[in-house]
Amino acid sequence: MKMLLSISWRNIWRHPARSGVLMGAIIAGIWAGILVSALTNGWIQQRFNNLIQEEITHAQVHHPEFLTEREALMYVDDAHEIFSFLDGDERVKAYAGRTLSDGMIQSPLTSSGVQIRGVDPDRERNTTTFHENVVDGEYLDSDIRNPILLGEKLTEKLNVDIGNRVVLTFQDMNNELTSASFNISGIFRTASTPYDERNVFVKAEDLQELLGDDIYHEVAIMLYDENLVDGVTEDLNESFDHIVAESWYELSPELRYITDMGGNLIVYIMGVIMLALAFGILNTMLMAIFERMKELGMLLAIGMSKLRVFLMIMLESVILTLSGAVVGLILTYFTVNYLGDKGIDLRSMGGESMAQFGFDAIVYPVAFMNDYITTIILVVVTALLAAIYPAIKALRLKPGEVVRE
Amino acid sequence: MAIITTHNLSKVYNPETVPVHALRDVNLEFEEGEFTTVRGPSGSGKTTLLNMIGGLDTPSDGYVEVDGTRITGMKDRELIDFRLNHIGFVFQAYNLIPVFTAYENVSFIMLLQKWDKQKMKERAEELLTAVGLKGKFDSRPKQLSGGEQQRVAVARALASRPKFILADEPTANLDTDSAMNLLDMMEKMNKEENVTFIFSTHDQRVIDRARRVITMVDGAIHKDEKKYPPLKGG
Ligand SMILES: Nc1ncnc2c1ncn2[C@@H]1O[C@H](COP(=O)(O)OP(=O)(O)O)[C@@H](O)[C@H]1O
Ligand SMILES: [Mg+2]
Repeated sequence: MKMLLSISWRNIWRHPARSGVLMGAIIAGIWAGILVSALTNGWIQQRFNNLIQEEITHAQVHHPEFLTEREALMYVDDAHEIFSFLDGDERVKAYAGRTLSDGMIQSPLTSSGVQIRGVDPDRERNTTTFHENVVDGEYLDSDIRNPILLGEKLTEKLNVDIGNRVVLTFQDMNNELTSASFNISGIFRTASTPYDERNVFVKAEDLQELLGDDIYHEVAIMLYDENLVDGVTEDLNESFDHIVAESWYELSPELRYITDMGGNLIVYIMGVIMLALAFGILNTMLMAIFERMKELGMLLAIGMSKLRVFLMIMLESVILTLSGAVVGLILTYFTVNYLGDKGIDLRSMGGESMAQFGFDAIVYPVAFMNDYITTIILVVVTALLAAIYPAIKALRLKPGEVVRE
Repeated sequence: MAIITTHNLSKVYNPETVPVHALRDVNLEFEEGEFTTVRGPSGSGKTTLLNMIGGLDTPSDGYVEVDGTRITGMKDRELIDFRLNHIGFVFQAYNLIPVFTAYENVSFIMLLQKWDKQKMKERAEELLTAVGLKGKFDSRPKQLSGGEQQRVAVARALASRPKFILADEPTANLDTDSAMNLLDMMEKMNKEENVTFIFSTHDQRVIDRARRVITMVDGAIHKDEKKYPPLKGG
């Protein structure tokens, strides 16, 4: 075996240029493939984190019809009992009740339809990272009366700024229209411009007072371990009537879909790249066999078994391909790590519009050990498959004919 | 007892289209320790005969026995094994693995035979020294002259301790001096290790060195002369 390895390795370097070109193609292919996958995974993960960490959390509790009807009356029954239940559950890291209402926001200039999110600033801060999106002013825990947090985009549309007053109008518990003025305490910006334009944040207690009751429409729950989410929702659904507890992937199936897809992305991307490279490998190996007919015939003649000749050619293909792959993987590893720290600023490539779809302008590529291992496996499988035909050609040689001069 | 016997050996190439009778009813016996040449004009069937004896090609009719074992009709895999363990080969060209050194080329066949490391090293060095290549163990074939390459090939053929060595025009690509040197060396090995040599040639000076001369014409044995005592170097 050691002898076969040695002969294969040296055979590769009989044509440094030819092997070099193939290795170069493999290096480039792996680099590009993993990077594209890492960028996409980075995007997906950032998007996932944004949504989970900032707003959705791992699980939510609602009135069974609230998400479809969104009426003020469809609040969570016995919210405070659910709170104490969650207080006693050690899987739960934090939770926050939210009072929600759809309504209108008005500035002296214009008005706009918005979703009003009444939050408990302390609890929300412990549960989500939304407060990190505040780019100007303060979060809701300021001293001013009726503070409101607006998206940057909305302030531009309404032509208002911190300290200005806006009026919110919405239906109360008795289906009566009610209005109140709020003071802008802060401005936020998320990765999604449409979100910034449609959502405003006020204190839950202020909103509850206007609605007419101490009610919550949503309880957002963050766990220590995301994988325990099914157990938690199950327990909640069993323990309480008139509510539904759902996991993040039930609340946002598309999020689960892109997360799942992200996991397999490397297989699709590298699969296509290796398919293209397979022809290069096949071609190189065929050339290597054809120019070495006499030598292979001699080896068979003096007593090298066909199995060994076959293995030698397979090994040659695998070593050739793997040498390129190892260099490519090392190069890719450092590129991904470097960019993973620094990020790629897509604004310079017109990434500003990405924010329309809820993606950050700066993307941090993410590649897992699994991606590298999958790539190596694909590389080896491709090298083996591409060498089968040339190897079989070599085995068909009749030593008696080949050794004739 | 003969170590090689051919029985009514015949070979017809392209029997369906343009039949070429490369061998016609060849019956020969070779004894252990022979130093024999097969001569004849180009196309007379020398290579075909050696290939049949070496199990590199299959006869159309007749069969070959080596040491009482009928090699004709053996399975591919058995035949390769048989060649490895019983026959040494020297070809006119492409004898050596270009990426291996002289030493590695000689050890290679012993590796295939799974020799003990130390014994393998000793034998490879001993053989390369015997064929006059001391100091060139680490040279690759490209760095060696044609004569030196052929000597490595002979050392390689001897390394596996075969019953006999088949050499098909081993001197065809060599100048006279190198050819004679190679013959000296083969003769020496024949005497010292009692290895049987059967080599083909159409070079008269090489023919003169053999102790038995088989002449082929048109695929048939025309003459079979034994010279006792050998004309030279005896
Ligand atoms: N594979 C083949 N197909 C057809 N004819 C062949 C083949 N190999 C050899 N021959 C023919 O067989 C005859 C004997 O060839 P060969 O044994 O090589 O002669 P020599 O070695 O004496 O020159 C020649 O006429 C040659 O053309
Ligand atoms: Mg010939």
